[in-house]
Amino acid sequence: MTVPTPTQPDAILWLTNLNALVCGLFLLVSFGLVAIRQTQACVRLFILLSVLLGGSALLLSEIYTTWHLVVVGVVDICTKAVIIPWLLRRALHDEVYTRREVTQVLNIPTALLLALGLAILGYLLAQPLLAVGGPSAGAVNLPIGLAGVLIGGLTAAVRREAVPLFLGLLAMENSAFLAGIGVAPEMPLIAEVSIAVDVLILVMVVSVLTRAVHEHIGTTEVGALTTLREGPGR
Amino acid sequence: MLLLIPLLPLVMVLLSLLPLGRRFAPIATLVAAIAELALAVAAALEVAAERNLVAIAGWVQLDGFGAIMLLLVAFLSVTAALFSVGYVAAHHYDAARVRSYCAHFNLFTFSLALVPVLAEPALVWIAIEFTSVFSVLLVAFDNTRTALEAAWKYVALMFMGAAIALLGFFLLFWAQAQAGGGHYSWDGLRAVAPQMPTVLVMAAFVLVLVGLGVKVGFVPLHTWLPDAHSQAPAPVCALLSGIKTTSSLYVILRLVPLLPAARINGALQVIGLLSAGVASFLLLQVRDYKRLFAYSTVEHMGIIFVAAGLGGAGGAGAYAALLQIISHSVTKSFCFLAAGAVLLLTGTREIKDVRGLIRTAGPVGAALLVGGLAIGGAPPFSVFLSEFSIFRVGLAEGHYAVTALLVVFITVAFFGILLHVNRMVFGAPGSLPAERRPRLPATAGAALLLAAVPVVVLGLYQPVWLSHVLAVAASNLAGVAGP
Amino acid sequence: MGNRILFNLVQLLTTLLFAPLVSGVIARLKEIVQSKRGPSIFQPYRDLWKLFHKDEVVSEYSSWIFRFTPYLVFVTPLLVTLLIPVLTDYPLFFAFMGDMLGGGFVLALGGFFATLAAVDTGNPYGPVGASRTRMVGFLAEPVFMIVFFTVSFVANSTIPYIVQQRWITPTAAFFEPSHILLLLAFLMLILAEGGRIPVDNPSGHFELAMIDESKSLEYSGRGFALMKWGGAMKFFVLLCIYLNVLVAPWGLAHEQTLGAVLLAIPLVLLKMLAFVLVLVVIESSLSKLRLFRIAEFLGAAFITSVAAMITRLFAM
Repeated sequence: MTVPTPTQPDAILWLTNLNALVCGLFLLVSFGLVAIRQTQACVRLFILLSVLLGGSALLLSEIYTTWHLVVVGVVDICTKAVIIPWLLRRALHDEVYTRREVTQVLNIPTALLLALGLAILGYLLAQPLLAVGGPSAGAVNLPIGLAGVLIGGLTAAVRREAVPLFLGLLAMENSAFLAGIGVAPEMPLIAEVSIAVDVLILVMVVSVLTRAVHEHIGTTEVGALTTLREGPGR
Repeated sequence: MLLLIPLLPLVMVLLSLLPLGRRFAPIATLVAAIAELALAVAAALEVAAERNLVAIAGWVQLDGFGAIMLLLVAFLSVTAALFSVGYVAAHHYDAARVRSYCAHFNLFTFSLALVPVLAEPALVWIAIEFTSVFSVLLVAFDNTRTALEAAWKYVALMFMGAAIALLGFFLLFWAQAQAGGGHYSWDGLRAVAPQMPTVLVMAAFVLVLVGLGVKVGFVPLHTWLPDAHSQAPAPVCALLSGIKTTSSLYVILRLVPLLPAARINGALQVIGLLSAGVASFLLLQVRDYKRLFAYSTVEHMGIIFVAAGLGGAGGAGAYAALLQIISHSVTKSFCFLAAGAVLLLTGTREIKDVRGLIRTAGPVGAALLVGGLAIGGAPPFSVFLSEFSIFRVGLAEGHYAVTALLVVFITVAFFGILLHVNRMVFGAPGSLPAERRPRLPATAGAALLLAAVPVVVLGLYQPVWLSHVLAVAASNLAGVAGP
Repeated sequence: MGNRILFNLVQLLTTLLFAPLVSGVIARLKEIVQSKRGPSIFQPYRDLWKLFHKDEVVSEYSSWIFRFTPYLVFVTPLLVTLLIPVLTDYPLFFAFMGDMLGGGFVLALGGFFATLAAVDTGNPYGPVGASRTRMVGFLAEPVFMIVFFTVSFVANSTIPYIVQQRWITPTAAFFEPSHILLLLAFLMLILAEGGRIPVDNPSGHFELAMIDESKSLEYSGRGFALMKWGGAMKFFVLLCIYLNVLVAPWGLAHEQTLGAVLLAIPLVLLKMLAFVLVLVVIESSLSKLRLFRIAEFLGAAFITSVAAMITRLFAM
């Protein structure tokens, strides 16, 4: 596999810095997903996250001069910033009350502190990996992607409502993708496009499931579904 | 020909949606599954003759390990499809629901068939994701509150694991690029394995292990498994426990040869023992007989992982692991079909409400007893043989403690399963009057018989071509990277 | 040296004279956004003039703290003015008297005495607001600290004049992720410390909901004027730190002549105007947070500042 020839150095520096900025904002929005209280705002933050991912993909495609990432960026923005929020909003439309607020197992400042710890952990874990070398422009993507995966996992673990929980999962996948485009820009295109398609199918399935849950228990608070366990008294 | 294998169920999805009456879709699914089995056997014979099947070089190809998985997928989908015919009829679903069930079933088998034939790890990840995504609505098919809860836990944990595993695959690609490139496929990775930076490969392996470990059901990531595998319809349960968890394990095991054996064998054994141990103890206090078998799945996944970590000259440990995979898949599918039959007849999931099956429904009771004995590891069934070969490899390699612990856990699980199955099969029969008892559909009975065949036969005799395929597969699993 | 003392004086006079103007502009712009006409931008000056000519009423139950505090609140921002770059980008005479941390502590001193004075009179609304101010204060402390630490780490110094040199020249350094995150964190901090929406409503009259306004509830006449002026100057000083060090360290006097320094005044005011526009947009589009949600708001500010520190420490 040949390394693609870069564009001129000055432009490279600017683009690398811009990419670093986009990734920094990505990290910030990941934190925002933990801190946000309204479901609608959560969906909007997710749209912003996807747009930032697409932006990073486009910037990296310019730096590495590979058209793979352009397609990835465009596909990503189309599916995750447009189609998926639309699907999720449709899954929510019956529920006016739960649309407003998100309840969590942990209160928000504690969750934020945990997210901070996870972000630091992500950075620490990424250090030995980056020491190996490799594409330098996308080097900032890996720690932030790793941190984003951990923070998304935290978000999904502490939420009780279906849609914000699922947005946390989608944020995890976005972050994994962010790390991926930074270190593996030449991944076969069909794989990356199929991943987007797969996520789309998943969202459709989940929205069907959420509807069914809503019909059964009146809200989409899936944290209240705890009947399946061992032990006495069921 | 290789392309036909996943394509056939995909075509069946479309055919299932045709409004041709209530019986068309399940029977058509069954016919397609049989055709699939024929194709799979043909492919396996090719591989046994040391001819690697290649449809699209580097993307769609079949080697020994893949052939075994494909055989299992095909056989299990035949028995499950056969059982589904009776299952759907017994539940009196209306036509639209029947079509929905068959369409989802075919999507599920399509994704399962896709996993072994693809050779590019990212595409395999997508296929694994498909197996999860397409089974979610099957798990929730009953549309009860518990089924929805199980399905929701399932999809949330699945996707979490998938995101983590995706990161692992990206890192793997990076590692291969660092080692000098080459095509991103299983073979390509094995070719450059010694040159890949160890820290990257280890990190990728850990991520894939955690991510796909959720799907396999390793402790402590197993919490979704008893719920999902007990709430789904019986044929789906058979597929889920029989081959879907094994497919994710297949992907993890594909990565094992890339790492230095000395460093990870210990970790594999520990993780496997943890799963086997915790599951065998959790087995003892279940109240639902399907959950019983689900915990047994967790335990067997642990056993397979331990076997893979035993190493052994010439891939003896890998051979034992493969044997265990085959015997576990066929036996577990049989057990779940038997459990599904019990559910059809008694209408209850609780162990304490089922008594004296051998008197009220002889064949089903016998099937349950056979299933319990087989999965627990009693001779002369296939699981006994495979577990015995694992012990042999363990003792030969000097892992005495590991082998001893494994024996203990398997014994505990055997005791637990037999305790519950015994109570269900023998004992004074329940209060259901004879004329109100539903009858087991003929196809369900036929499915049970068919599923029982390899359970019994493989414990006594191994077909020659199967041995060849196993040998090829074991060499695929043997490590390439130095210690 | 004489020049430098002169420039220090000009700095002090700028803060003194233009702080009420900034308040007036904010008030006017907020009213315009709400489609009203709003008061004149010089109204705060007229208010101060009026208040200085009124009698002062002081509660019998208050102590010397009550009488002493307005002077303290008036003087502390002026002291901080001596330390920060207001008009020049080279250090002036008193610049090394204290660094950013010292400046922060001096401002905190004023706030501390204001809180004490609010409790001093025996009016029940005073302590209510004072305790809330303290809550906002201690939640904002970590953010202050982390922001200062990160900025000092980046610039290898804690003196504001030296810190701002870092971002004057190469603009690529300006777009570093740590810098942008710091800007966001400090903005949230200014909203909290300045008593702006979404933390507190500065134009509210409902005592039970007041946080920052309650400190001047009991004052009248000259005391009130000094408290108002001091509050406006504190806000001005915070803006100076923010704009002249972090956001836009350009437009400050580079040569050491009086003309250049005087020329810097309108440029600084222009920067403030731009910021005021952003502030008015923020204030008009958000609503005041419920009291315990302020902890989440400041928690988010803390996280932002620590994220800035992380991205900086790992040199990404």
